[in-house]
Amino acid sequence: MQIARKLPEAITEVNDGVEIKIENMSVRFPERNGKYTVDALTNVNLEIRQGEFISLVGPSGCGKTTLLRAIADLQQPSSGSITVRGQTPREIRLQKKFGIVFQSPVLYDWRTARRNVCMPMELMGIPKQERTATVNEMLDMVNLLDFGRKYPSQLSGGMQQRVGIARALAIKPEILLMDEPFSALDEFTKEKLNEELLAIWSKAKKTIVFVTHNISESVFLSDRVVVLSPHPGRVSAVVDINLPRPRHLAIKDTPEFSALVAKVRNSFEGV
Amino acid sequence: MKAINWKKFFSSPKWVTVAWVVGLIIVWEIGATIVAGVKRTPENVLPHLYQIIGSIFSSQKANSTQTALQIVLSNAWLTLERAGIGFLLGALVGFLLALLMSLFSAVEKMIFPYLMIIQMIPILGMAPIVLAITKDIDKSRIVIAAILTFYPVATNTLSGFKAVEKEKRELMYSYAANRFEIYRKLLIPSCLPYLFTGLKIAAPMAITASILVDTLQGGGGLGCMMSQSLKHAMTIYVFWQIVFLSAIIGILSYQLMAWLEKLVSPYSRNRKASGSEKAKELEP
Repeated sequence: MQIARKLPEAITEVNDGVEIKIENMSVRFPERNGKYTVDALTNVNLEIRQGEFISLVGPSGCGKTTLLRAIADLQQPSSGSITVRGQTPREIRLQKKFGIVFQSPVLYDWRTARRNVCMPMELMGIPKQERTATVNEMLDMVNLLDFGRKYPSQLSGGMQQRVGIARALAIKPEILLMDEPFSALDEFTKEKLNEELLAIWSKAKKTIVFVTHNISESVFLSDRVVVLSPHPGRVSAVVDINLPRPRHLAIKDTPEFSALVAKVRNSFEGV
Repeated sequence: MKAINWKKFFSSPKWVTVAWVVGLIIVWEIGATIVAGVKRTPENVLPHLYQIIGSIFSSQKANSTQTALQIVLSNAWLTLERAGIGFLLGALVGFLLALLMSLFSAVEKMIFPYLMIIQMIPILGMAPIVLAITKDIDKSRIVIAAILTFYPVATNTLSGFKAVEKEKRELMYSYAANRFEIYRKLLIPSCLPYLFTGLKIAAPMAITASILVDTLQGGGGLGCMMSQSLKHAMTIYVFWQIVFLSAIIGILSYQLMAWLEKLVSPYSRNRKASGSEKAKELEP
């Protein structure tokens, strides 16, 4: 450990830059009567690199959310293994290194936007002065500095989701896990937040695992798109997105973008 | 000339309240007029409202020292005091029970069915038992008020704990929050609206119970005076004043809880105001 701390590049070499490693993982859910099981995910093998923006895309029931939840230690795999930086997801969770953004903003109604962003830092025991400074920094990053004193019920859906993102980033997590964070928003707000998210990611340089059912969104955001197919849930393809960065919305009008969207779409099996 | 929106006017809450009050007065007075023509002592059945109001301002002594109003008010204070202490005790016990039941599901399975049984026993059946145990009418009045309070508080608070969305719990889990933090930062704040629902149900009940138990034995209190008045030990208008005063106290106790709720949860006060003027999405 001591050597590793002195020589960070040594770790990179040993880890091969791999942040999350999933080997032969399966998740089975019991049916209602308990006799049968449903294969939510079968035999998933996936390596996610450090600092990578990776999307899990697929139709409902393909197990994309289950895969994200397994990484977050919210779901136990039935077989196979997940390691995050050489540790189990549980160990990483206990070290509070995950930031999670759910489909709904999951803000606490009785707290203002500022105090919502503050909440995870309170759990980490960060002193008040530092908390205040970080809250300002995070709200500034998501362009909500003027709305800090508002309660969630006073904010629009897009603003609430940005508060959720600010909260997830406030504890400077190593890995940001996002479960369809923009799917409840209208198309205009979603595209704007997509662009904002890329700007935040390029500044913060986190590993982001992003679950979506929107092919265009996944291609626009990601370094790689993991395509999942249902019955049973499985990884049917991993598509490299070699579009130049920084990306802006105009890139969606290029033939290269359309070709990649088609490639992802054609990777689905079954449905 | 500005046209009046009659539809809007008639559906406004103020108008509805006025309509109810006026309607009740009319029905009451029709009844009182009929009773006055039929009965020999109509004030024992249904006096006119002006007679009751007149009795409030009457300076005639109803017993050796006090007027009717003085009797009612001094006894109202006694009743309120007992109901208040019982209510606070019951609310505290109810909240702690809900907390225990949500912490340990074994406790919930063990005690929840029996809580319901206690609630099913009528107060008047329970009162003599409580009196026999406490051997003191004042204590048993407080205990009965507490028993009636704790059940709605406990059940509502427990359902508040259970109503917390799965994702909000998972968020706490993902930050590896401990049980104490989960309760302090998530479960207790989010069950507040449910707790206040319980308190709003319980507050008038505690007062009703206190008055009812008063009637069992002497020692002062609204119920005590009520039964004396009905037995003609003093003017019947003490009874009528108590009828109105206890209704007013019941409503005020509910309003007090509603006001307290607004005080401790400013976010729900804001919710109503913000509905129409939700903040617009910021331009990039």
